[in-house]
Amino acid sequence: MTVTAPPAPGAEEFTEPIGVRRRLVRQRARRSLVRRRLVSRGAVVVCALALAASLAPLVGLVAYTVGRGWHVLSGAFLTHEPTPPGVPGGGIANAIVGSVVLVALGAAMAVPVGVAAALFLLERRGRIAGALRFGADVLTGVPSIAIGIVAYGLLIAPGGLLSLGHYSGLSGSVALAVLMLPIVVRASESAMAAVPSELREAGLALGVRRSRVMRSVVLRSALPGLVTGNLLAVARAVGETAPLLFTAIGSQLFALNPLQPVAAMPLVIYNDGTQPFPAAQQIAWGTALVLLALVLVLSVAARAVAAFLNRRAR
Amino acid sequence: MVHHSEDGDRVRGSSRPGGRGLWLPLVAVGAAAVLAAACSSTPTAAKLKPKDTTTTSTTAPAPTTTTTAAASPSTTAAKSSAAPATTTTVKAAAHSTTAATSCSTSGGTLSATCDTQSTSATLTGAGANSIQPFFSRVFYYFNQADHGVNVNYSPAGSSVGVTDIEQDTVAFGDSEIPIKTPASGTGGNILQVPVDLGGVALSYNVPGLSGGLKLNGPVLAGIFLGKITKWDDAQIAALNPGVNLPGSTIYPVHRADSSGPGYDLDQYLIDTAGSTWTGSAAGTTASTKWPITNVGVGQQLNTGVATYIQQTQGSIGYVEYAYSVQAGFTNAALLNTAGDYVTPSQTSIAAAGAEASGLSATNFNIVNGAGAGTYPLANFSWTLLYQKQANAAQGVVLGKLVDWVTTTGQNQAKALGYSPLPANVVALAHSTLLQLENSAGKPLFSS
Amino acid sequence: MTTLLEEVPPPLAPVPGVAEALGRRRRRPGGRLYAALRWGGALVFGAVVVALVATLVSGSSQAFGHFGLSLLWSDHYSPAKDQYPTGVFIVGTLITTAVALVLAVVVGVATAAFLSELAPRVVAAPLSVAVDLIAAVPSIVVGLWGLLVLTPAFSHHVEPFLKTIPVLEWFFHGAALGPSMLLAGVVLAVMIVPTVVALSRSAMTAVAVADREAARALGATRWQVVRTAVIPGARTGIEASLTLAMGRAMGETIAVAMVIGNSYTVPHSLLAPGATLGSAIINNFGEAAPGLDRSSVVALVLVLVLITALVNVGGQLLLRARTRSARR
Repeated sequence: MTVTAPPAPGAEEFTEPIGVRRRLVRQRARRSLVRRRLVSRGAVVVCALALAASLAPLVGLVAYTVGRGWHVLSGAFLTHEPTPPGVPGGGIANAIVGSVVLVALGAAMAVPVGVAAALFLLERRGRIAGALRFGADVLTGVPSIAIGIVAYGLLIAPGGLLSLGHYSGLSGSVALAVLMLPIVVRASESAMAAVPSELREAGLALGVRRSRVMRSVVLRSALPGLVTGNLLAVARAVGETAPLLFTAIGSQLFALNPLQPVAAMPLVIYNDGTQPFPAAQQIAWGTALVLLALVLVLSVAARAVAAFLNRRAR
Repeated sequence: MVHHSEDGDRVRGSSRPGGRGLWLPLVAVGAAAVLAAACSSTPTAAKLKPKDTTTTSTTAPAPTTTTTAAASPSTTAAKSSAAPATTTTVKAAAHSTTAATSCSTSGGTLSATCDTQSTSATLTGAGANSIQPFFSRVFYYFNQADHGVNVNYSPAGSSVGVTDIEQDTVAFGDSEIPIKTPASGTGGNILQVPVDLGGVALSYNVPGLSGGLKLNGPVLAGIFLGKITKWDDAQIAALNPGVNLPGSTIYPVHRADSSGPGYDLDQYLIDTAGSTWTGSAAGTTASTKWPITNVGVGQQLNTGVATYIQQTQGSIGYVEYAYSVQAGFTNAALLNTAGDYVTPSQTSIAAAGAEASGLSATNFNIVNGAGAGTYPLANFSWTLLYQKQANAAQGVVLGKLVDWVTTTGQNQAKALGYSPLPANVVALAHSTLLQLENSAGKPLFSS
Repeated sequence: MTTLLEEVPPPLAPVPGVAEALGRRRRRPGGRLYAALRWGGALVFGAVVVALVATLVSGSSQAFGHFGLSLLWSDHYSPAKDQYPTGVFIVGTLITTAVALVLAVVVGVATAAFLSELAPRVVAAPLSVAVDLIAAVPSIVVGLWGLLVLTPAFSHHVEPFLKTIPVLEWFFHGAALGPSMLLAGVVLAVMIVPTVVALSRSAMTAVAVADREAARALGATRWQVVRTAVIPGARTGIEASLTLAMGRAMGETIAVAMVIGNSYTVPHSLLAPGATLGSAIINNFGEAAPGLDRSSVVALVLVLVLITALVNVGGQLLLRARTRSARR
């Protein structure tokens, strides 16, 4: 760590008498301090402005969404199915339920696989684990649209490896699962790696089976981290549009069958938000508000659950 | 970190059940997911399976086109009171009602040779964005009349509809421009049924400029090629004497995806703008992909173009007339072959549709048609479906649905800015639907 | 602990049977299930990665076979020949990402420094939580806001204003259309700023207190502490956050397609409309007919994946190398 000292005042030759020199040094030091304090104040102000600059659009975006979406929200909006343009009423019940179904199915696929893969990484070093970790790094960076298109190629296009031959919510769930997978793996691994190895060793030293140690010691201690990581993965997945665009494709119907196209809130925002008609844009804003609220609840829940479990563990 | 070798996991006989406690829930969650998927997979189609379809096999005689038929059973009119003009009688293809009673119909004029009672089905379609307002209305009212049939339409664009039906990933597709015949896909021969008549509006957002600005092919070509950049350009002024044109910049907007409206405008410019257009990158063959992508802004779908026009002063772009009507845009009057400047309206688009004689999937082009009051940018939208319906029950539902759309459903067209199909086109739709077959090659409908 | 260790009695002679008992314990079937579970997870995960890459490679092989590697830098758009201007899309991707990074890095790192070091705790704590929560705002909502709010604002106010600034003319010239490379970059910046702030802030908070105190003791002001101790100390973390943000900006599709204007030519100005790999994929995949057309679009996906993977893996390798050299 390099820490540069403040500039040393008065490095000239000593020509003046000692009293004069002392005064000179003090004067320079004071000037330097004044200058440095000014710079510091200025920097603080600049950083505060940066904070304002970064928060303003974000807060504006959220506030605008709430402002526009608030008027749209009603019991009917949340519980009714959509109606065609020109027919009053209608809501996004199908999209809310559809989003929940898609993400729940996706999480049901991603979480077991992800936690198991994290266990593997935790217990094993070497080439396979290295390759797997590299895979996780790559998968984290893969754009979500690519996952959607691969899901289309494998699950929908005729001739695909596991093709159903038509658009389906299930393929959307698989795409969301793949999207969540690296997040789950990484979060789970880091949560479990944070468990002190002494705890595990103590368990093993007592002659407890490894699976039992994992279950009773590692997973239990890592539970808050696991819950947080997984909930954050779910929060990320619920707002994704690109993986669903060519898989679940959305639906105007209250369709829960995952083998049929399923509606999702991000798709509603995309379809209705790009329309020039005020009624459609209102639906988009209302949906955006519901989606924001859901994501917020998930994010807060992730932290709250972790805090609660942590407290109980103590 | 403890390091273990895998051979520690080698197994001998004895077991203690407690050890698996936490793994089981994890595995169970996964299994539950698979189960849930499997259970909900029992498709509605299983219920629909016709006991024995196709008792008669010969196709019915060609229907006469002048008969007036009741729009729908009374249920339709009663339930969809919100729908404008549902009780109007429309000219429709004649049909015998005797066979129809054996299959529960919802107002279509197509009678099935089936004896299946249930028409409960969920159909997925994808295709033209231009027809979406119309489709979402008619499917809604069809569902109001017949609660068993749910239709989910994804308005992702004509070319998406073509690709999807060719790959058999949807029950039906829809395209503003028919597929080149003979049309076929992974499921065999594809039938193309005209279902609506629409127009393409050249909408603009110029403050102080009211509707009816006169434009012709060469000027439009100049605008979309970036050669005419100001609203008060001499060429525009020459067509609009006495109109006070602002000196602001023109912002042309085109479709970023391929589209029927783009095809129509391209065709119109090829026909009328001469070498200004055909000598550019556009060439002499109309294309669904907009050929000039380096001038102005490209937007996704009609909705994207319309949103841009709405937001941007000085913009001009082409959108389906229904979108223009709903968004309250001002539209340009275009020069037609008779030498008139015509703005898009139901009447002028209907006039263009009436000019269509000998319409078919190969002879579909009604752009720049003859006649005094015709609007030059009009087109039919075509629903695409497989001739052989592997699932006969679903095929029956689909056939009835499309037939209903071309007859009773046309009542919904006017309210949205489409024009009702001319009688000869309804007849074409009906006779095309009669070609629907089950997997054994027997026709699904007798008349 | 140490005292306990010292009290451990000297090892006794091995008790007969213990080794066998231990061996038996290790061979319980629970162990096999556990191993199967771990290996199963690892295998499925590996299979997913392999399937992803394999599908993209096989899907795009026809296009690469037809156009050759020149596909990668083609700037010619020919719908009739199913040829896409990949080079234009790559340039567009790089420009929008660069705009977003320039905006997000300056603002984001300064914000993180403010929240972690300079602001009073009463302000910093709630704002930090707020930023963490805002980081979860779905990109489609940012896109919606960009389309319906920012686009008109840009075409009416921001872009005409930028054109009047003398020095920046070179970047900002041409018509104020609204949708533009600039707007896409701004929307991306809004999208990635929370990520940059949240991760940079946690990296800065993790810098050892001793480092700060050392700087303080040498007479550094608050800002000097940040500049000389905190930012260098948190550098790897900040760079990691930038890598992540860059990957996200490159891979974003729908929000960009909504605001970029979709013009398939090399942009001459930041106000010109353009296209990125992501926006081009969204606009073309659905309608691409099976065969060469679809293969060409999948090739775009493959290029996008390769670029983002390069950024991600490259960034991680760089970070690992740096931490290794820092340890030495």
